[in-house]
Amino acid sequence: MADSGFNALSRMTVRNGLNKKSVSHNTDMNDECTLFPEKANFDLMSEVMKFRKIDAHVHVYWPDFTKILGWVRGSPETQIFFGKKLRIEKQVISRYLNVMPGSPEQFRKYNNLTIEAMKKYPDNFLGGFVINGAYQKESLEEINRCMDAGMIGTGELYYHVKINDPRYYPIIEKLIDLKMIIHFHAECQLGVGGYRMKYKTTQAPNTSIPEDFVDIAKRYPEGIFQFAHIGMGGDWEYECKMFADYPNIYVETGGSNNSENMIDFAVKHIGEDRIFFGSDGAYFQGIGKILASNLTDRQKQKIFFDNYNNVLKLGGRNVD
Amino acid sequence: MWIDINAYVGRWPFMQFQYNTCAALLNRMNKFGVDISVISNLNGIFYKNTQSANKELYEELQSLGRNNKRFIPFAVINPTYAGWKNDLKECLEKFGMKGIRLYPKYHDYAITDPSLIELVKMARTLDIPVTFNYRIVDSRQRSWMDIDLVATSAKPEWTLRNIIPIIKAVPDAKYMIVNVCNSLEINPEDEEIFNNANVLMDTSGRSFNTIGIFLQEKANITRLAYGTHSPILDYLTGMLRIESLDSDEASENTKDLLRSGNAKRFLEL
Repeated sequence: MADSGFNALSRMTVRNGLNKKSVSHNTDMNDECTLFPEKANFDLMSEVMKFRKIDAHVHVYWPDFTKILGWVRGSPETQIFFGKKLRIEKQVISRYLNVMPGSPEQFRKYNNLTIEAMKKYPDNFLGGFVINGAYQKESLEEINRCMDAGMIGTGELYYHVKINDPRYYPIIEKLIDLKMIIHFHAECQLGVGGYRMKYKTTQAPNTSIPEDFVDIAKRYPEGIFQFAHIGMGGDWEYECKMFADYPNIYVETGGSNNSENMIDFAVKHIGEDRIFFGSDGAYFQGIGKILASNLTDRQKQKIFFDNYNNVLKLGGRNVD
Repeated sequence: MWIDINAYVGRWPFMQFQYNTCAALLNRMNKFGVDISVISNLNGIFYKNTQSANKELYEELQSLGRNNKRFIPFAVINPTYAGWKNDLKECLEKFGMKGIRLYPKYHDYAITDPSLIELVKMARTLDIPVTFNYRIVDSRQRSWMDIDLVATSAKPEWTLRNIIPIIKAVPDAKYMIVNVCNSLEINPEDEEIFNNANVLMDTSGRSFNTIGIFLQEKANITRLAYGTHSPILDYLTGMLRIESLDSDEASENTKDLLRSGNAKRFLEL
């Protein structure tokens, strides 16, 4: 006998095959219990199309990366494809500077990729520039160049220097004067970035964490700080609780993790006005987790579109 | 018709979940138009004696009255724990369970453990599916008390390569692989055995963000079915991956297979 234990269970085979008529869990839906509401005729794509959207966190890439991901459409055409499919009217794109040392030559090159995509699809993209606080003078100059190219604020700034590093102070002061959003990559001490995790997860030591955002938000209460992707780098409950009392920190919902209750929890702790819809390229999760929340349509519309657009309005960069 | 092949009830020790009872899940199903859910009890991941969790699920389903017909319960079995064969027998004969959920990482046995191979062979004989997952929660947001498989670390989360050995050991069993959130790549020498295996994956995992490309391979059309990974992941993302497919990515017939057709065929409903 090939299978140990077969004798003990073989008698069940006939009765437990799922195709057998005797199975109690059938698919007959005619005798519903009245304790529960009727099953709705839910039309998901109608819900998707109901809401205008600005995606506050998107990236464009060079061909080598899109090949790795299997994006047959390449970039930025993949981003355009999802935007049209899911009624994302504007996507705030950048090319995050995930190289060391993040020199001026490198960030200019990365920004040129973004500018190229903006020029190609001006109706679909808003551009965010990347800089590096370690190169303060060149970063200030790059802001001017990118403004001239029509960019609206920073893209996702990366891990070369923490957001609250003094080298960023004059840069942040300039961005405040320009009423631009300061969007920073972030992780969490409870998660991939952190000291409590004892695993070598290859995270850069200068990655900004929630405590760094609180520090800079207190120093510059007039700054507009976008905490990147609560669906990516760390414990979103920790992050939302950390920012409850700092009205100039906005959380953005991007990242591939679409935990149930993330959005309801964020609204409960941060409020419905300080949350930006973002995908970080995870478009399905970005939209799915907001639509699956218990928010009203008005609250969803705020997160999908109005909150980000209202901040753009401060600098006259709104989209309508 | 929608059949969710990957839902749970029960608790997670490190985080409060919403919608983690049969009643709450049923409300979720009704709200979003889902007909049937394949469910198991998360508590079985943490109880040493998993049968307690299976019994809990059975009793909870009983309390739903006729609404229990909306659920297809799967048993959580640890094949390295005493009495598992009797537990499985009880789950199938008394509790009406229709498949098996397996957690080698949490239950601390290897994918090639002889007891696992024995169980999968038994499932093959009984013509019931066995289910593996890539992960339950995103390790980047895990508790410090959770298992120590961490993305981007030297001991990373699972990919399809980690599941292949059991498929090689018992190639003719029925496999469900859920929350496919990392690589689907396998070694070239394993491709034939995987391609010939009876496998059904669900749409809850992030690897299917490129679902349109995945479906270009004709054989893949019958290997994917709607799944939520509820209540861990949000209820709609797995559905959105299907519903947003354009006509040049998937025909209406293909979408129907993903919504429920593949699940019906695989589960012999």
